[in-house]
Amino acid sequence: MKILLIEDDRDTASYIMQALDEVGHVTHHAADGDTGYAMASSMDYEVMIIDRMLPRRDGLSIIESLRAEGNTTPALILSALGEVDDRVTGLRAGGDDYLAKPYAFSELLARVEVLARRTAPAEAATSYQVGELRLDRLSHGVKRGDNDIVLQPREFRLLEYLMRHAGQVVTRTMLLENVWDYHFDPQTNVIDVHMSRLRAKIDRGQAKPLLHTVRGAGYMIRE
Amino acid sequence: MSRLGRLWRTTTFQLTAIFIILFIVFAIGILGYIAFQSSINIQQTQVRGIERELNRLEREYRRGGTRGLVVAIQRIARGAGPGIYFVADQNGVGVAGNIATVPFAVLDNPGQHTFTYQRDRPFRASDPEAEDTEGVALVRSFILPSGYRLVVGRDIVERRGFAVIIFQAFFWGVIMIVILSIIAGVFTARRVLRRLDAIADTSNQIMSGNLSMRVPVTRRNDEFDRLATNLNAMLDRIEQLMQAMKQVTDNIAHDLKTPLTRMRNKVERALHGEMDGEAARAALEATISESDQLLKTFNALLLIARIEAGAPASAFETINVADMLADLVELYAPVAEDAGLAISADAPKGLELVANRELVGQALVNLIENAIKYAQNGDLTGGRENQVTVRAYAGENRTVFEVADKGPGIPQAERERVLQRFVRLEESRTEAGSGLGLSLVAAVARLHKGEIEIFGNDPGTLVRLSLPGAPPQ
Repeated sequence: MKILLIEDDRDTASYIMQALDEVGHVTHHAADGDTGYAMASSMDYEVMIIDRMLPRRDGLSIIESLRAEGNTTPALILSALGEVDDRVTGLRAGGDDYLAKPYAFSELLARVEVLARRTAPAEAATSYQVGELRLDRLSHGVKRGDNDIVLQPREFRLLEYLMRHAGQVVTRTMLLENVWDYHFDPQTNVIDVHMSRLRAKIDRGQAKPLLHTVRGAGYMIRE
Repeated sequence: MSRLGRLWRTTTFQLTAIFIILFIVFAIGILGYIAFQSSINIQQTQVRGIERELNRLEREYRRGGTRGLVVAIQRIARGAGPGIYFVADQNGVGVAGNIATVPFAVLDNPGQHTFTYQRDRPFRASDPEAEDTEGVALVRSFILPSGYRLVVGRDIVERRGFAVIIFQAFFWGVIMIVILSIIAGVFTARRVLRRLDAIADTSNQIMSGNLSMRVPVTRRNDEFDRLATNLNAMLDRIEQLMQAMKQVTDNIAHDLKTPLTRMRNKVERALHGEMDGEAARAALEATISESDQLLKTFNALLLIARIEAGAPASAFETINVADMLADLVELYAPVAEDAGLAISADAPKGLELVANRELVGQALVNLIENAIKYAQNGDLTGGRENQVTVRAYAGENRTVFEVADKGPGIPQAERERVLQRFVRLEESRTEAGSGLGLSLVAAVARLHKGEIEIFGNDPGTLVRLSLPGAPPQ
């Protein structure tokens, strides 16, 4: 995957680049807003990671200009501000996701990969299939093989989100944001409890589990 | 110089000086006016007196002719008093009267005149000055049909004397005013200086590090006392903040140092290969989860700081309270169930609140998590249902949230303290958590100008978060 990183802090930038490189992504780096904007509009990237506060030109104005030009490359905004209202302004400016510093790299990586996949047409699918697990968005039915699985509405949305991003790591925060629409931070393992209940319904008694815990990062559903 | 100069430079003293000058100007004006009016009045009285005498003398003249007039004048002139009488023949030679001569200009021109003359007798026996003084006469002169001249008037030295008296009174009055004002000015200026010096001394001591000093407050309850009370309140707040900061710094040092040290040790052991691959991997995973916990702590700290700096009002929106509570309880129901607790939400349908959704949500999450965390440890209900209750209702001009549990509760004495950052009760030190949960709730309450109160729930804890903003119904 080809990623553009616009970040003025050298240490952060080189750390992110190295880490993205280790998981097999090609990252281009711009250290200020002008250069970043020039690179973003002249080359094709799959995802942009843009710091909000940059020298010469701030991150939000870069995204606004790109969107005005018809550039739809998914953008993840990094911010030291991180207040609720900042997230709203960031998304309103055309950003696709918002991550407040300090963050864990696993969180950043998971979000970047989900963003990159967002452009794929899978978004509009009416049903998802992972192995023998099948979720029908229209009838709200879930089947594993021939067995019907009865899910609560929230469990259904949880599974739907996981299956839409099958094969990708989904962090606890992403689940909280996307399934519950909560943008705050529980101290307890509330997501883990919900996941273990979902797992019990899907994987119990099965030889081959589909729901996997990715240590230090989050969850993933895959064959 | 320095003391006097300081006194002079005080506002009080300068104001006093300005008032002295203004007062003198006013006094001059008022006294001048009084003197002027009085002198006019006296003159008018004198002129009227002269006219009355003229009328009388005219009657004498008509009855007795020139001779009768002269006799009358001679009779009148023998008496004492301020009156001046003079009769001259056609050539201006005095025939009768109580003064020796009258200038020809006065005799020849009928009408009103003023001239000086030589007194030849005192007006009153008691008037010592009158012996040999020049008099000033205000007279009417008159040419009789016989060609004789009649002059009737009054000595007006008395009137002049009146002006002198007024002027003297004025002069001494002004001097008294100036002296008294200066005394009053010095007195008040010194009083003000003393009060200000007390404040300056206190602030000097505070600047040099003694934060416990306070500005003295007298029982007069004047503007200085109000200032002093305000300053003291400010100082209390500063001292509190300083202490809070010190405490936060200490706690950060303690609460963050411990996990960091633990992480460092784990990584070090993994690095030096004292473990096999699997154990090293587990150590690294533990490190990651521990650093995630640290990040959470930092995020909570930052969030509190941001809330205390004041979140923008644009983030306020209308919240459907019942839906919000139902969602939260649904989110936490499995956690509560795993902990052997029941959790329930209770809020009237249609209850709405204008607030920052995310922050109120976070505050309720913190309260619910606390309730679950501490209630699962000590079931003191003696077999009764161990229940966490989340309730919301419309209070007077406010929306009240209550989260109640049946856990071990918080001792009365500690209820205020647990709202501070990093404060954790001794019994819960071993629990997971940052000690920031309730401080965040308190910060959210402050942001919404609401309150957080902690009560006993007999047994357990009831936390009441009340946010102003009348529900729209």
